[in-house]
Amino acid sequence: MFDPTSNPPPFWQNGPAPGAFYNFPNTKSGPSDEFQHSQAPITTATSIVAIKYATGVIIAGDLLGSYGSLARYRNCPRVLQVNENIILGAGGDYGDFQYIKNFIEQKIVQEECLDDGFKLKPKSLYCWLTRVMYSCRSKFDPLWNNLVIGGIQDGEPFLGTVDKLGTAFTDKIICTGYGAHIAVPLLREAMEKNPNMSKDEAKALVEKSMEVLFYRDARSFPKYQVAIIDQNEGSVIEGPLVVKQNWSLAHMISGYN
Amino acid sequence: MSLSMEGIRPHYPDYSNAPMQRHFSPYADNGGSVVAIAGDDFVVIGADTRLSAGFSIYTRDQNKLFPLSKTTVLGCAGCWCDTLTLTRILTSRMQMYQQEHNKTMSTVACAQMLSTMLYYKRFFPYYISNVLVGLDNEGKGCVYSYDPIGHCEKATYKAGGSAGALLQPLLDNQIGLKNMEIIGDSKLTIEKATNIIKDVFISAAERDIYTGDSVIINIITKEGIKDDKFELRKD
Amino acid sequence: MFLTRSEYDRGVNTFSPEGRLFQVEYAIEAIKLGSTAIGISTSEGVVLAVEKRITSPLMEPTTIEKIVEVDKHIGCAVSGLMADSRTMIDRARIECQNHWFVYNENMSVESCAQAVSNLAIQFGDSDDDGAAMSRPFGVAILFAGIDEKGPQLYHMDPSGTFVQFDAKAIGSGSEGAQQSLQEVYHRSMTLAEATTSALTILKQVMEEKLNSSNVEVMTMTPDNFFHMFAKEQVEEVISKIS
Repeated sequence: MFDPTSNPPPFWQNGPAPGAFYNFPNTKSGPSDEFQHSQAPITTATSIVAIKYATGVIIAGDLLGSYGSLARYRNCPRVLQVNENIILGAGGDYGDFQYIKNFIEQKIVQEECLDDGFKLKPKSLYCWLTRVMYSCRSKFDPLWNNLVIGGIQDGEPFLGTVDKLGTAFTDKIICTGYGAHIAVPLLREAMEKNPNMSKDEAKALVEKSMEVLFYRDARSFPKYQVAIIDQNEGSVIEGPLVVKQNWSLAHMISGYN
Repeated sequence: MSLSMEGIRPHYPDYSNAPMQRHFSPYADNGGSVVAIAGDDFVVIGADTRLSAGFSIYTRDQNKLFPLSKTTVLGCAGCWCDTLTLTRILTSRMQMYQQEHNKTMSTVACAQMLSTMLYYKRFFPYYISNVLVGLDNEGKGCVYSYDPIGHCEKATYKAGGSAGALLQPLLDNQIGLKNMEIIGDSKLTIEKATNIIKDVFISAAERDIYTGDSVIINIITKEGIKDDKFELRKD
Repeated sequence: MFLTRSEYDRGVNTFSPEGRLFQVEYAIEAIKLGSTAIGISTSEGVVLAVEKRITSPLMEPTTIEKIVEVDKHIGCAVSGLMADSRTMIDRARIECQNHWFVYNENMSVESCAQAVSNLAIQFGDSDDDGAAMSRPFGVAILFAGIDEKGPQLYHMDPSGTFVQFDAKAIGSGSEGAQQSLQEVYHRSMTLAEATTSALTILKQVMEEKLNSSNVEVMTMTPDNFFHMFAKEQVEEVISKIS
């Protein structure tokens, strides 16, 4: 495929470039103290689907750790309970997620040790993560993740998200990655029809979203986990759940045998 | 710059052995528009509530107006992560000023402070188009607009953000009464300014995909800040 | 007296058992060796008057500057160690300019005094902030300025304490002068009255005979801001009092 925006192909490589006699291999001209910060995600996780219902929040994410297009790791949990009033989900680089997870867990342990009854609140964690992500992006050393924070604060459900730049916002529906394109329209429509969803309705909706995402997202996986936090019932992590697949339509699509 | 071929993307990406490098940009364009109109003893500012990136809408309900004092409001459009950071620093600077000098920062002082704060990040700017409005020391409405590196301009009306270039000529005509043959000299009232802001946003939502969903309006008078909101098209 | 102090009067970072920092108190004593300065605040403006000690007839009196401009709207008179005062005035000027640069408005007189006070207490062992001096500054300052609250006079001593005054005297003649100020001061005083009163009192407390070259007079008014009196103007005021 010809891409007109890319540079033309070189005539020969490693020969004398204009203005230079010879390019010795493995040498670089210019300042040597340059430091290449900008990284790319390596092992990645795909979408997170999250919704806020009448009395709580649900966050779901599958268990796949992709290595480029290779479905490499099949048991990468990425939704977690931070403490009794916060749940968290993450997409993007799995290594960066584990780093953040460690960091948060350390914070919680330190808090636990003080034993003063103080518990981190979801809005505080959300704000703190925004600052962490922003400060890393400002050093050109981003944590390549989409984080979704859910919880209960002052008796109200909370749902917010932060991306690798520190872009943060709250909403009733948050989907990251492929889910932002595939699941959001589905969820927004359902939310419009039924703004005060019950827990079971919300769970069914998330289940449906995970199914659709499995059909449409090549980097998805049929096994997933769901974190639920509820005003009355506290928080749980359910799963691994399995997407109920229905391929009965498949034979009607031509070219698919 | 060295002229070696290192780091140049191969011509035929499908047949190349070179690793794919996803480069990192610390900025994002999250869209949004801000419009402000000042009158003799009031100022009105509106901002849409769509937060987007490319073709996806992050949220339809994001307030982009930040009250800094009882007489000063800042409207931000552009890179949202920079907006979050800048407005947090601004709020804390407002508080520090209050505690250090035992008075609330005036709109004029705030306008100058914002300019210096933006310029201090001249070589890694906050990618925001800021519109600061408020009442000056005489109680007159005023509008200050900024470029991302701190250039500050005082005006009586201003459109900024993704539909800024689209709306400014409209305001020139409707508020500045530019290129008009017959000019009826009707005084600018709060109602008129608010209605123009509403019309102008409806127009912007028609043509600019980064502006839409709804508009939050702040009306600042000596009595305080009043909120208003109305819906825009959501497609 | 000497005995009780001797143990605790060397370090600036050690309180005496009675809870005193002797070095700071000594610094306040040092002001009493300085030349007298008087400030009076009226509704029309503030006047500052200081004596200049001409210790030799061969000395050039104009090179002694005890009243200086900090910003257009703030001036100050100093008494004590002149060299120390330069550092503090520098700080005051920088703070005023920085305030103007950041906020595009004049710094208030109180904020200016606060900023200088922050410098005044930066003595002692150097820490992260970096101490400005190993000892307290040996200076007292009178700030005369105009801001949105109108004409104001502030006094600051080496401990960094600053207080607003209607009228204040510092330096060697301060005790007598302060007494006299209390007698003559009233709320409806005009600036002209204040100027003559200041010089009358200065004349009483000065050892040398007061003339136009051994005093400095400055007025700070809402219209003209910082205004140093020329020799002729000083002579005019002196002629009224003698």
